[in-house]
Amino acid sequence: MWRRLHSWLRATHRSAVERDMHAELRFHVEAYAEDLVRAGVPRQEALRRARLEFGGIEQIKEQCRETRGMTVLQSLGQDLQLAIRMLRKNPAFLILAVLTLALGIGANSAIFSVVDAILLRPLPYPEPNRLVRLWESYPARGFFRNVVNPINFLDWRDNSKSFQDMAAIVGSSNNLNANGQPVAVPGLRVSPEFFTILEIPPVLGRTFVPEDGIAGRDHVVMLSYELWQSRFAGDPAVLDQKMGIDGLPYTIVGVMPRGFSFPKTKAEIWTPLPLARTEEWNSGRYLTTLARLKPGVTLEQARQDMARVASIAAEARPDFNKGWSAEVFPMLDDVTESISRPLWVLLAAVGLLLLIACANVANLILMRGAGRLREMAVRSALGASRRRLIQQLLVESLLLSVAGMAAGLLFAQFGLHSLLALIPRGAPLPRSEPITIDGRVLLFAFLASLGTAVLFGLVPALRLSRVDLQDALKQGTARGGVGGHQTLRRCFVVAEMALALLLSVGAGLMLRSFTRLTAVDPGFQPEHLLTLHVALAPSRYENDLKRSAYFERLLTEIRAIPGVRAAGSTHFLPLTETMSGSCFASGDGPKPTPAESPSSQFLIVSSSYFAAMGTPILQGRDFGQHDNFNAQPVAIVNHAFVDHYFSGQNPLVKRLWVCWDIDKPVEIIGVVADARQTDLEAAPEPTIFLSNAQAPMYFATIVVRTQGGDPGQIAHSTEDAIHRVDPDQAVSEVRTMQTVFSDSVASPRFEAILLGVFAALAVALAIIGIYGVVSYSVTQRTNEIGIRVALGARSSDISHMVLREALVLAAIALLLGFVASFALSRVLESLLFEVKPTDPFTLASVGCIIVAVSVLAALLPARRATRVEPTVALRYE
Amino acid sequence: MDKDKQLDLLQGTLDMLILKAVSLGPFHGYGILLRIQQISKGRLEIQQGSLYPALYRLEDQGWIASEWGESENNRKAKYYRLTAEGKRRLQTETENWNRMAHVIAGILRTTPEEV
Repeated sequence: MWRRLHSWLRATHRSAVERDMHAELRFHVEAYAEDLVRAGVPRQEALRRARLEFGGIEQIKEQCRETRGMTVLQSLGQDLQLAIRMLRKNPAFLILAVLTLALGIGANSAIFSVVDAILLRPLPYPEPNRLVRLWESYPARGFFRNVVNPINFLDWRDNSKSFQDMAAIVGSSNNLNANGQPVAVPGLRVSPEFFTILEIPPVLGRTFVPEDGIAGRDHVVMLSYELWQSRFAGDPAVLDQKMGIDGLPYTIVGVMPRGFSFPKTKAEIWTPLPLARTEEWNSGRYLTTLARLKPGVTLEQARQDMARVASIAAEARPDFNKGWSAEVFPMLDDVTESISRPLWVLLAAVGLLLLIACANVANLILMRGAGRLREMAVRSALGASRRRLIQQLLVESLLLSVAGMAAGLLFAQFGLHSLLALIPRGAPLPRSEPITIDGRVLLFAFLASLGTAVLFGLVPALRLSRVDLQDALKQGTARGGVGGHQTLRRCFVVAEMALALLLSVGAGLMLRSFTRLTAVDPGFQPEHLLTLHVALAPSRYENDLKRSAYFERLLTEIRAIPGVRAAGSTHFLPLTETMSGSCFASGDGPKPTPAESPSSQFLIVSSSYFAAMGTPILQGRDFGQHDNFNAQPVAIVNHAFVDHYFSGQNPLVKRLWVCWDIDKPVEIIGVVADARQTDLEAAPEPTIFLSNAQAPMYFATIVVRTQGGDPGQIAHSTEDAIHRVDPDQAVSEVRTMQTVFSDSVASPRFEAILLGVFAALAVALAIIGIYGVVSYSVTQRTNEIGIRVALGARSSDISHMVLREALVLAAIALLLGFVASFALSRVLESLLFEVKPTDPFTLASVGCIIVAVSVLAALLPARRATRVEPTVALRYE
Repeated sequence: MDKDKQLDLLQGTLDMLILKAVSLGPFHGYGILLRIQQISKGRLEIQQGSLYPALYRLEDQGWIASEWGESENNRKAKYYRLTAEGKRRLQTETENWNRMAHVIAGILRTTPEEV
């Protein structure tokens, strides 16, 4: 292909226009010569004079080319041909430059594909900028995105004026029967407006209508395309068929298109969420909401509207709503809120990497350009204008960066693959659209490479095209007149090192923060622990007694499995970013109200839960056999709770009113050590534990401690045990606690690894840069070094002289890099755990690394300098 | 003043001279040169090669057109002729030049009393 391109270019070069021009000029010279011969001048002399008086033929041709419109395309063709020839003559330069650019462009394309897919692309619904999410907020406690109480939601819907529609959703786990085996299928219960708001029509049947949202008529279900394919083989006859969900018949009314989903949720089925102003919905906040703004309504108007509506709700039910307000966020911002800053930081980091790559390639071009001064001078003598020389050099740069882009896209493909492998499987991502190298990423890569070409090509082109003809031709050696270039190259190298330092500081901080984070004592022992999720169907376990009896039997069965040391249950597993909270009051006073009383975290756990987790009981006892429905309700609190509310008192004699489904005060029977709940970062908060036997939930995560080895080995026998208790009960999310632990820090690990990789690449490029500059300056100073050696300088003096140059560059870079990292410290602050952006340890070690690598890079040229033979060096001139 | 001394061409006047030369009939480049020298009686210094960029420029602007033909000694040569557009151009250029020459000459003739 190369060869073909080459011959094509040659053909263009020798185009008819060129031939004509040549013939025309030749005719002129020969005609004149003939006239001279006729006038009596000898033929040889006549030809000579004719040529002389005509002037430089090549120069005139060049001027002719420029006067014609042909310059743009044809001269580009010529330059391209020239560029290919130049680059092929110098494969080492070509490979180094293309690889450097490929690294920069590849890394940028990979990160951009993630940023684009998650942050930049509009959500996949019609008019996505009118979609918003609404939250309850409690500004005094710093809550701005709190889930919503159902009655408040209904009030909002009735009183607000800014929205076309408003819907509430809540996640659900559903027991479906597949070939006799119960399977847990994730679903969403949605108010019927959900589909009207998203404006995505079904591929089959209909979406929900308002009547589906009325309790008693809500046994209808919509299927995802994927479930329709896997369970019903895509049969259109499924419409109006019945499907058993949690043991109850649901009528299939529609199928959603392939890939349809709602951000941050996983759902294979959708069922209606009937909401009514009944006692049942009075308390608790747990709904996620979405809404579509009326056309023309701005976000600000919607915010004011919601603030007004929320204040009505607060006045109507002050005991529940005092201090609460409402917030409106654009849906895209809302679902990407936690991930947008890390992603922008990563994109900025690869941007810096690309800058470093540019500086490096610019230096390579300058270094090579020094050897090309003669070529430039000759071309300029042959009539090439400066504009034309710049054009030629830029075409070379462009060719390099396009080659870099092609190789970079291969890197990106590979890099993206490993990058996505860092994201835990099954994590509900903010966006479900696939992250790939697609047209938009290609366009980005192309624009980036164009920009890159200008960035690294322009300065050298401007510099190299400014040839002093006389000088360059006279000197004749490759070393002519490039003192100025060396200064420019030093500037590039300092910039490179400063940027590499900046990246390394970022990476160092993230790494240190990540180490701190994983070194946190979670308050439980994640080793040898298996976790499984069980969600009971309310239709089959309709009352508390049935549920608590079920969990009791389940745990008894599991504890009997050989190899199991302890088993318990909790309604929210630690480190899964889930937590519940409610209000409480002293058992000696009046009942608490949500608005007035203090609030605490609440967890519903079984007996032996703490034993299974390895969390020590500090005082009192665990829940026991006797703490059942008929007995006195009891509670355990954590150390943080005692510290906060009963400091210096004996908690075991206290009684508490709790805002939970228990109508008398609970007795505190024990105190457990603190453990991290929502994630590793959040310090333990005051927590009240209630017994699953006295306040059972519909769902629980079972934790099973084994006697050793891989807890995954007992997964099967545990599932079997669960099926022995109830053959129709599905089990989901079977994971070891160590996986849970590792997944919970996936995001900081992702950031630390990527920044680390980028920083390492940046430092590697900087090393190449320093090496290039120092080694070039040694070559230039061979003569001077020879004289010094001849005058008695020792080899240590010489190597010091060379190393000094590298150290001076490093020192300037250090200064600039540190100033920049201080200036940018606030960007990283929110991503760091227990590490300040100005952490002296990190800054000092990164500084040492940069100085060390500069010395390392200069060592080789320094050794070469010490081997300079004075006689050879002096002859060099 | 030595009237036979060769004069350097004024900036921008070569185009006008070429247009004038080809208005007298189609010529090849060398012929145009000869014709200008002949009309000016050899008093204008024209660097031979510089004729061609000017020819290419004028052709590019559409004021002259070219085609290949046979020269007087049976060789292939490129002949230039004036286009209609070139004719109009030559006319305005000539008028402008005359007006300009008149004004400049008037200024240079001015004596102190007239100011």
